[in-house]
Amino acid sequence: MKVGVPICLLAGAILSFPFLGEAAATFAARNKEQAANSQQQTTLSGRVLDGDGQPVQNATVAIQGTGKAVSTDENGRFVLESDRTDATLVVSYVGFETKIYQVSGNTSDIVIQLDGKNDLEEVVVVGYGTQKKINLTGAVSQINSEVLENRPQPNLTRMLQGTLPNLNLRMTDGSPTRSAAFNIRGITSIGAGGNAMVLIDGVEGDPNLLNPNDVESVTILKDASSAAIYGSRAAFGVVLITTKDVGKGKPRLDVRLSQSVNQRTVVPNLVTDGYTWAKNFDDAFYAWYDYKTHPITVNANFPFSLEYLERLKNHDPSQGDAVYNESLGRYEYFGSTDWFAALHRDRMPATEASITASGGSEKAKYFVSGLYYHQDGIFRHSPDDFNKWNVRAKGEVHLNDWLTFDNNVDVSTYQYGYPLLANGDAGIWRYWAVSGFPIATMYNPDGTFTRQAVEAGASFVDGSSRSDYDRFFVRTTPSVTAKPFGDLVTFKANFTYAKTFNKDKRYNNYLYSSDRPGQTARFGNSLYRTLSDNTTYWGSNITAEVKKTLNDAHDLGVLVGYNIESNRWDNFDAQRDGLLVPGKPDFNLMDGLNYNIAGGGNEWKYLGVFYRLTYAYKSRYLLEFNGRYDGSSKFPDNQRYGFFPSASAGWNISEEPFMAGSRTWLDNLKLRASYGSLGNGNVAPYRYMETMSVSKTSVILNGVQTPYTSIPGVIPDGLTWEKATTLDVGVDATLFSGRFNLTFDWYSRITTDMFTAGQPLPNVFGAAVPFGNYADLKTNGWELTLGWQDQFDAGGTPFHYSVSGSLWDNQSEILKFNNPTKVLASTYYDGMKLGEIWGYETLGFFASDEEAANWADQSFLLNSNTNEYLAGDLKFADRNGDGVINQGKNTVDDPGDRMIIGNNSPRYQYGFTVSGNWKGVGISAFVQGIGKRDWYFAPEADLFYGPYNRPYGFQPKIMMDDYWTEENPNAYWPRYRGYTALGTNRSLGAPQTRYLQDASYLRVKDITVNYTFPEAWMNKLGIGKAMVYLSGQNLFTFSGLYKHTDNFDPEIIENPAGDMTNSHGQGDAYPMLKSYTLGLNFSF
Amino acid sequence: MLYITASVGLILSLASCNDFLETEPFDKLVPGSFFATEEDLELYTNSFYQQMLPSADAATQGDGMADYSSITQSSNFISGNYSSVDEGSWNWSNLRNINYFLANYNNEAIPEEARNHYAGIARFFRAWFYIEKVQRYGNVPWYDTPLTTDDEALYKTQDPREVVMQHVLEDLNFAAENIREAKDNTSSTITRQVALAYKSRIALYEGTYRKYHTELNLAGTADQWLTEAANAAKMVMDAGTYSLYNTGRPTSDYRTLFISENAVSQEVMFAMVFNNALKRWHALTWKFNSATYGSRWGLNKQFINTYLMTDGSRFTDKAGYDELLFVDEMANRDNRLAQTVRSLGYKRSDGSPAPPNFGYTFTGYHILKWSMDDKRLDGIGEAYNTIPLMRYAEVLLNYAEAKAELGEFDDMEWAKTIGLLRQRAGVNAAIPQTADPYLREVYFPEIADKYLLEIRRERGIELCYENLRYQDLMRWKKGKLVEMPWKGIYVPAMDRPMDLDGNGTPDVSFVSKTPDAAQPGVTYFVIDNNISKLSGGTSGHVIWGANEERSFEDKKYLYPISNSDIVLNPSLVQNPGWK
Repeated sequence: MKVGVPICLLAGAILSFPFLGEAAATFAARNKEQAANSQQQTTLSGRVLDGDGQPVQNATVAIQGTGKAVSTDENGRFVLESDRTDATLVVSYVGFETKIYQVSGNTSDIVIQLDGKNDLEEVVVVGYGTQKKINLTGAVSQINSEVLENRPQPNLTRMLQGTLPNLNLRMTDGSPTRSAAFNIRGITSIGAGGNAMVLIDGVEGDPNLLNPNDVESVTILKDASSAAIYGSRAAFGVVLITTKDVGKGKPRLDVRLSQSVNQRTVVPNLVTDGYTWAKNFDDAFYAWYDYKTHPITVNANFPFSLEYLERLKNHDPSQGDAVYNESLGRYEYFGSTDWFAALHRDRMPATEASITASGGSEKAKYFVSGLYYHQDGIFRHSPDDFNKWNVRAKGEVHLNDWLTFDNNVDVSTYQYGYPLLANGDAGIWRYWAVSGFPIATMYNPDGTFTRQAVEAGASFVDGSSRSDYDRFFVRTTPSVTAKPFGDLVTFKANFTYAKTFNKDKRYNNYLYSSDRPGQTARFGNSLYRTLSDNTTYWGSNITAEVKKTLNDAHDLGVLVGYNIESNRWDNFDAQRDGLLVPGKPDFNLMDGLNYNIAGGGNEWKYLGVFYRLTYAYKSRYLLEFNGRYDGSSKFPDNQRYGFFPSASAGWNISEEPFMAGSRTWLDNLKLRASYGSLGNGNVAPYRYMETMSVSKTSVILNGVQTPYTSIPGVIPDGLTWEKATTLDVGVDATLFSGRFNLTFDWYSRITTDMFTAGQPLPNVFGAAVPFGNYADLKTNGWELTLGWQDQFDAGGTPFHYSVSGSLWDNQSEILKFNNPTKVLASTYYDGMKLGEIWGYETLGFFASDEEAANWADQSFLLNSNTNEYLAGDLKFADRNGDGVINQGKNTVDDPGDRMIIGNNSPRYQYGFTVSGNWKGVGISAFVQGIGKRDWYFAPEADLFYGPYNRPYGFQPKIMMDDYWTEENPNAYWPRYRGYTALGTNRSLGAPQTRYLQDASYLRVKDITVNYTFPEAWMNKLGIGKAMVYLSGQNLFTFSGLYKHTDNFDPEIIENPAGDMTNSHGQGDAYPMLKSYTLGLNFSF
Repeated sequence: MLYITASVGLILSLASCNDFLETEPFDKLVPGSFFATEEDLELYTNSFYQQMLPSADAATQGDGMADYSSITQSSNFISGNYSSVDEGSWNWSNLRNINYFLANYNNEAIPEEARNHYAGIARFFRAWFYIEKVQRYGNVPWYDTPLTTDDEALYKTQDPREVVMQHVLEDLNFAAENIREAKDNTSSTITRQVALAYKSRIALYEGTYRKYHTELNLAGTADQWLTEAANAAKMVMDAGTYSLYNTGRPTSDYRTLFISENAVSQEVMFAMVFNNALKRWHALTWKFNSATYGSRWGLNKQFINTYLMTDGSRFTDKAGYDELLFVDEMANRDNRLAQTVRSLGYKRSDGSPAPPNFGYTFTGYHILKWSMDDKRLDGIGEAYNTIPLMRYAEVLLNYAEAKAELGEFDDMEWAKTIGLLRQRAGVNAAIPQTADPYLREVYFPEIADKYLLEIRRERGIELCYENLRYQDLMRWKKGKLVEMPWKGIYVPAMDRPMDLDGNGTPDVSFVSKTPDAAQPGVTYFVIDNNISKLSGGTSGHVIWGANEERSFEDKKYLYPISNSDIVLNPSLVQNPGWK
């Protein structure tokens, strides 16, 4: 378990106490002063009632501008002392609109009636418009800006994790630029693939470039019915991100400042003592070689011998950890280097500053925002700093009473520079596993780098090899809205132009290491690369919407629209070796003959017409039809267009006359159902065309590497759209004047005609079997959202609190796949549950060598150089009783001794928030997690398997106390042997029951404590509102994984991807960060 | 309203027709408009080189399976229970790529000579493709068009070897007649001479295979192939385009061929080119000088014994030749020996002595041929010596062997072939008077012809580790030779450090267990009497892989057809003896 005391948070709280105390004192003094100055004391009393005339308990009644407030009693009564008879009362209660009541004359028996605010009136963003929540018939979830507030993060995706039910975001590491695919409702397609379509203000965009403070709401459209209006790219749902609306009225300025300190959530707990490490290394190696051969090198390049080990043991530290050995003619190393500590920082600051201005008149309104975010990198010497800037400007002009023109401009950019290894890009964490030996040191006595250092990241010290990544994005969307016939018809037309530029300048410089004084050896490259690409997009949407209510009973709505989009992506990469001046990477300053220029790109276009028809009878019976006729450039002529309709219906039971009796407690109860089928247009452009690529040969012909082309791939047969058909049933309920709400959805999504390889052909065919629409998949799941909010009286002041959370699940099964023999070799078969793990059943350890010798033949799983099993080695169940432990024919029907031992799909994911607010002090916590997930670490998970993977790898401290010996037969790990987890064909690397991990986790993503200064007090300072907050992110994590390892963050267990990783070594990735933030928000 | 109508109209008219959705890739070629010019043909045929040339590893390490080499562990094929399940699926994509070209290149807008030249290149590579299939599987199906998904021919059975080889010969003849003559001084492209030289290799292979594999009942056709081989080789010899690289420095000329960055195009006819400036690198130096990265290849003592003395006499005629100390047996031998394995006085480029390393080899005959002298390259994959794939020396050997097999070899031919090779190696080229008893005893008891024995000796030595030996054994039907023990240097006693490079300091010691206090600079080689042994118990020759059961039954002259391929096409017939 991982419970660190959040020292910073505590310290912050202690530090801020005197300040708060002082503030409170000042405040109290002022009240006293006011009281003293009062001329006339009046008692104000009355009752607060709800829409049905029922008393409202615990409602807050405050006198505006004084800070005086009381809560109502069980009869809805309140009594307040006031110094004036014409006071303005502000009455608020959860679930109701806040009411302003002007006292005039009567000061007793005041009756204030509250209007229900419960979220039925709430408006939800849907495709090409908005809809009242009560009229929704599809599966839609939405969060609003407050969920994202006061959580400074490098990007929006990180902030959204866990906030919306069945929006599955898997952050594979902690890098500030890391994004995640937006997945809605689980596995989409094993063919063309596909994720949710992400729209920012109605146009596809990258949420990571967005200023999170600009976001007003994030909505996900989960079922076919809600998404159908977006057609083929919405087959797997839509994420609608809406930015804040232009202001109106008084100019308003918001300033937000925050300062954070980031730390790694997990610092690997490894042996770093040189001798201990070297001894363990030798033991692991020796054991694999059947106790016959000691290593002569550590990973082939660091000399090793028993005699050296002996000297390591007796080394006198005063001689230094790198010593020149005359007789060997080289340096010898006696280090105890902690490479993680040497190259990482422990605390990294981050700063965010943002400003938002809005205002305007009835004729013209504006909204302007800017953000600067800076995050210091995690590396000590050559830090990977991240900077992000955003500017958004929105303006709206009402040309006349029916015509509005507006524009929305967004300029975003970020820069991220990070160190590279001298010999390429590959992952530093992985390099530490295979080269960062504690016995090695960074420097020789003369200050030169050691051989091991250059391999294990000396370039991270001298900063000579780096990547400087720059992303720039600009987008403008002008639009017109016309209402020529009042509210009956609304025409909207917009046009978007967007351009994205990405440029990555990467340079590697040679590093020099030394084995002995006066000698140097070169390592790495002298190479400069620019990887650049740009994307040009334009698109337009035109819609017309008619709304009409007939006879006060029939609500009709018609929306028709037209959409056109075009996107072109151009790539340009250049590279050359031979940097003349290491610090000046530029193609003008290079002399290498090895160079390469690559272009490339693609384009796609879409055209579509769509409609939505809605009908509601007295808000009781709801019907909705969506559909789209879509054209895509990605499909051949005869398949270019597709029509995708959907339908949904809702029944507001609570609106029925027969439910009248339940109105006092049941605000709303609605049943929903929807069904629809959408084409998945997510195939790569040109997939259906025969094309021939031209590349440069790697072989040298006539002295040069020359271009070549070759046979085009065999084109797919009769390619058509994959289809995703979703059935969704749901229920929404709101109870107790909006205090309790519930939403539940169950769905089944069947993806048919998935684009997968066809029936295998004899290999003499000589080409990959063309893909076709051959496979089917079913994903079932559900989502449950519950919320409770209320307030009670605490010392005369209401304490507001709320608890809300979502739990969701999904599971996928293959219905059809071309694998008649059901081979288990990394492919699918009919009936397969995605994520299933096949493995052996571990019975434990052999108690004696005899037992091992007499047991079933386990030689299929390598256990040592000559494949010997001894006491303490793993013992597997001979499940099929054939006397041999193996994988049989590796098919479902003959899996040998294997069975399904688990499933690595994340199940029962959840996110919930608890918050409370009292006297301007707010506290909230947001928790996110996965309820069930099995995990079997891949063999190269060096942080897990340690020396069992490679003897020279990491040595997790807790492992080194927990492996089998005769004295410790009940340990977790087997007989200590290197290389037994080097592959899945080895005794420990083979998936098996004993080492299956529980990767479920619960993570406290955010805890925030804030204090809003009294308005009256701030007004004196000319500040409208001011709030200070302390927030901690990712502070606590609980996971089943921690039972046997403390080296992983449970979110970073998959194969690493992206910068600074090389896709091997699960967990060898940019660490997840936790942070402590102090922030100040002002508005004027 | 006006704006809207206007913009709707504008956008609709932009997109009113299907043309809007018609996109052609702008960064790729489309077959319909390709194959239009000679440059197009060249662009396409470059792919054959890209896809079919062997890697540096494949071009040098194949002989690890042969009789003269020891490695960490024999392949499963030789010492394990190999079956058709272990055999991977065969890959035919290179053939499809060639056949697609041959189906499309014939555009009359291109001059006929150019068309034929590139068709010749394609057919050369098709022969290359098929010979590799025939060598591995014997009978294989012949295809000369790209197959469609519903082609019945996908499911046909194998064509007989003689049919396939007849097509191969036609392809090679077409190549030799139509590929352009001009010599390529970079040795990187196929010219007419290269095609002829390759033809001599293939025809010799097929001729001898048929001659010695009498079970095929094709022995009657062997001489036709041998004649083709001799004629093709003769054409190369007569053309005079190439000659042996001989600068009169017998101690270095031979190795220069293998460690030069630029191919020595006087002799090297075709090569896999590597280049430091272009960062075209391979890892051979590392692999041949690593305890773990490579397979610790080493030559066996039996083969080392075949190297003659510089005076032309046989080493094996010396008394006690087999129990000489390493430093003694290396003296005064055919100069190619010290250029093939690490020998006396070998130094790296920085002047440091480099005796054979028992950490990198098991027998002590540490292969030097492909390693560059720069020590840096022992730990980094940046070696840049060009790897010859076809040398004029082989053409001489092909010619000599074909002639000898035809019974047409004599002293005149000796002087034109073997004589030249021995001269270059600084070995007295005198013609031996008798058949070598050692060669007969250890290798070829069935061969009585002294010329043929000498040609085979010469071929083994000259082309050592050039990826030809294993196929030589196959065509001579000498697969049994791989069962030979992996014999290393002579060790007079255990626990006694020995000097290997003659500089007086000890380099290796044979022990039963690594001592706790090791002597610096000494490699300790553990004799565990399981995998490693000394032939006399506590003294004698190092024997590596002693616990292996290497066996070569007749069925192993061919590999099994992969089980998975038979599942996909049940009409394929499994090779004899395999299941």
